Amino acid sequence: MNRALLAGLVRLAITLAVIAAVILAVLIPFALPHDQPGAVVAAFLLGPLSSVRHLGNVAEYATPIAFTGLAATVVFRSGLFNLGIESGVFLGGLAATAAALLLPSFGPFTPLVAIIVGAVVGSISCVIPGELRLRWDAPEMVTSLVLNFAILYAGVFFLNYYLRDPAAGSLMSYRIPADARLDRLLSGTRLNSGAIVALAACLTVGIWLYFTRSGLNLRIVGQGPAFAAHLGLPSRRIIMQAQLVGGLIAGMAGAIQVLGLYPRFSWTQLPGLGWTGIIIAILARENPFYVVPAALFLGYLQVGGDFLARDIGIPSEVVGLVTAAIMLAVTASAIFQHPAVLRLIRRIRRVEAAQ
Amino acid sequence: MTGLAIITDPATFATVLRVMTPLLIAALGILISDRAGVFNLGMEGMMLTGALAGVLVSAWTGSAWLGLSAAIVAGGLIGALMAFAVNGLGANLIIAGIAVNLAASSGTTLGLFFATGDKGMSGALRSGVMPSLDLPFVRDIPGIGPLVSGHNVLTYGALLAVPLISLMMARTAFGLRIRAVGVDPKAAATVGISVKLIQLQALVLSGMLGGMAGAYLSMGYVSWFAQDMTAGRGFIAIAIEVMGMGTAWGTLAATIVIAIAETLAITMQTFGLPNELMQMIPYVVPIVILTIWTARGRARPAGR
Repeated sequence: MNRALLAGLVRLAITLAVIAAVILAVLIPFALPHDQPGAVVAAFLLGPLSSVRHLGNVAEYATPIAFTGLAATVVFRSGLFNLGIESGVFLGGLAATAAALLLPSFGPFTPLVAIIVGAVVGSISCVIPGELRLRWDAPEMVTSLVLNFAILYAGVFFLNYYLRDPAAGSLMSYRIPADARLDRLLSGTRLNSGAIVALAACLTVGIWLYFTRSGLNLRIVGQGPAFAAHLGLPSRRIIMQAQLVGGLIAGMAGAIQVLGLYPRFSWTQLPGLGWTGIIIAILARENPFYVVPAALFLGYLQVGGDFLARDIGIPSEVVGLVTAAIMLAVTASAIFQHPAVLRLIRRIRRVEAAQ
Repeated sequence: MTGLAIITDPATFATVLRVMTPLLIAALGILISDRAGVFNLGMEGMMLTGALAGVLVSAWTGSAWLGLSAAIVAGGLIGALMAFAVNGLGANLIIAGIAVNLAASSGTTLGLFFATGDKGMSGALRSGVMPSLDLPFVRDIPGIGPLVSGHNVLTYGALLAVPLISLMMARTAFGLRIRAVGVDPKAAATVGISVKLIQLQALVLSGMLGGMAGAYLSMGYVSWFAQDMTAGRGFIAIAIEVMGMGTAWGTLAATIVIAIAETLAITMQTFGLPNELMQMIPYVVPIVILTIWTARGRARPAGR
C-alpha cells in the first residue's frame, strides 16, 4: 500500500473521530433533559439515512453549498480572503430570475441562459473586492464584507421596482415561467438537475486545479507569492482569474438554487450560503474533489436537524452549533499537528520504507 | 420639511447618536483585539449574544442594569472561548470568528426558543430598557442643552470610552503590552510578556464591549430581541475600525461619518427616495474611503 495514502487515511480517521466526538458533545446537552436521550441522537444521526427520499433531501441541501464551497475553494486558493461569495449567490439568483422573467423564452435552453446570466452578474461581487485589492491595496476581507450588504440592498431595490408581483402578499417576484425551472430528479424532494451540474463543476475545477498548467500556476501564486514572482508568473492576472471563476460559480449557485427550488424569487436577506461555502472549503481542505463529500456531510447534518425539529421539537438551529464546533475542531492544529499524531504518521512511513 | 430644517433639527442629532452608539462600542472592541494581533471577526456574534443575554436577564430580574451586566459577561465569555480556540486549540483566527458568528446566530435562536417558546422575537418578555440621562445644569444651557442632554446612558458610556481607551492604549503598561504583542509577538515574549495571556485579556475586553453594544441594541435602540437583530452592524464596525487606522479617536471619527451617512439614509426616505438605495449608503461609504486611503498610502510608500 502507498505510504502517503496510508498517512492520509490516518488523518482522515482522526478527522472523522473528531467530528463524531464534536457532534455528540453538542447534542448530548440537548438530549439529556429529554425522556429518551437515545431517540434524540438516533433521530439526528439515523433519520437522514432512513429512506431514499431523505437521502434525496441530503443531496438537495448539498447542491447549493457544493457550489459555494467550490467557489470559496477557488477564491481562497488565490491567497485572497474574499467573502463576496455570499452576495454573489444572492445576485446570481436575482439575475437568473430577471433573465427568466424579462428575456424571451429560449425553449429548452431557457434555464441555461438564465444560469449564465446569473453567473456573470453574480461574479461582480467577487471581482470588485479583488480589483480594489490588486489596484489600490484596499483590504479585500473588509471591503467584501460590507459590499455584501450594499449589493443586498441594491438587489432588493431591483426586486422591488422591476420584478415585484403587486398581487403577491409580500415582497417577491412574479412567478418564474415553467420552462425556466430545472427538472426535478426525485419525487417528494426538491432534488433537481442542478445537483448533477454541481458534481460536474467540482470534478472540472478539481481537474483544472491539479492537472493543468493554469491550475498549478494558481496554486503556486496562492501558496507562495514570492516564489510565483520569482518564476515570473503574471500573479495579478492569475489572482483576478480566480476571483472571476469563484464569482461565476457563486452566481451559478444562486441561479440554480432559485430556478431549482422556488416558484418565485423572495430573498430579502443574504441567504447565508456563502458562509456555509467557507465552512465546506475548510472541511474539504480547499480541495475541489473533497468539496462533494463535505457538502453531502453538511446536507446530512441539516436533514438530521430537520428530524430533530419535526420529531423531537428541538429547533433545527442546533445544526449551526454543531457546524461551528466542527469548524473549530477540524482546523485545530493542537489536534492535527499534535506530536503523537505526527509521530504515528512518521512511524507508518518508516515501516513502509523498511519493507 | 426642508433639507436644512432636517439637518438643524435636534431630532436628527439624536438619531445620529442613536445610530452611532452600538457601532462605536463595537468598533472600540475590535480596536483592542486588533492591536493585540487577534482581529475579532466574531463581533457580530458577540453583539447578538449580548443582546439576548440583556433581554433575558433583565426580564428575569427586573433590572436593566443586571441585564447589561449579563450582556457584558456573556460577551466576555465568548471572547475567552475564542482566545482558547485560537491559542489553546490552535484554530485559525478568522475561522474562529466565523464560527462565533454562526454559533451565536443559531445559539441565540435556540436560547430564545427555550426561554420563551418563540423563535423569532422576545416581544412577550417584559425586558428592561437602559435609562436616559438628563445632565443637570447642562440641560438648562439654551441652544446646546437640549442637544447634549437626555440621551441613553450607554451613549454617554460609548463617548466616554473613546478617551479612556485612547489613554489605556497610549499611557498604561497594559496598553503597551497589547501593542507590543500586536506588533511582534516573538519580541514581546522575549521580554517576558505572556502573549497568550495578553491576547486572552484583549479578546475578553473586546467581547465585553461587544456584549455592551448588543445590550444597547435590545435595551436602548429598541426594547426587544429579534432573531439576527444585529443585521451586519458587527461587520460595519469592522470596516469602521479599519477606517479609524487603529486609534480610538480615528475610530470615533469614522463612526461619526458612518452614522451621519446612515442618518441621512433614514431621513432622506421622507423625501420619497427609494428606501433600499438609501440603505446602501452606510455600506458603500467605507468601501470608498478605505480604497481612497489605501490608494494614497500606495502613492506615498513611506506610510506608517
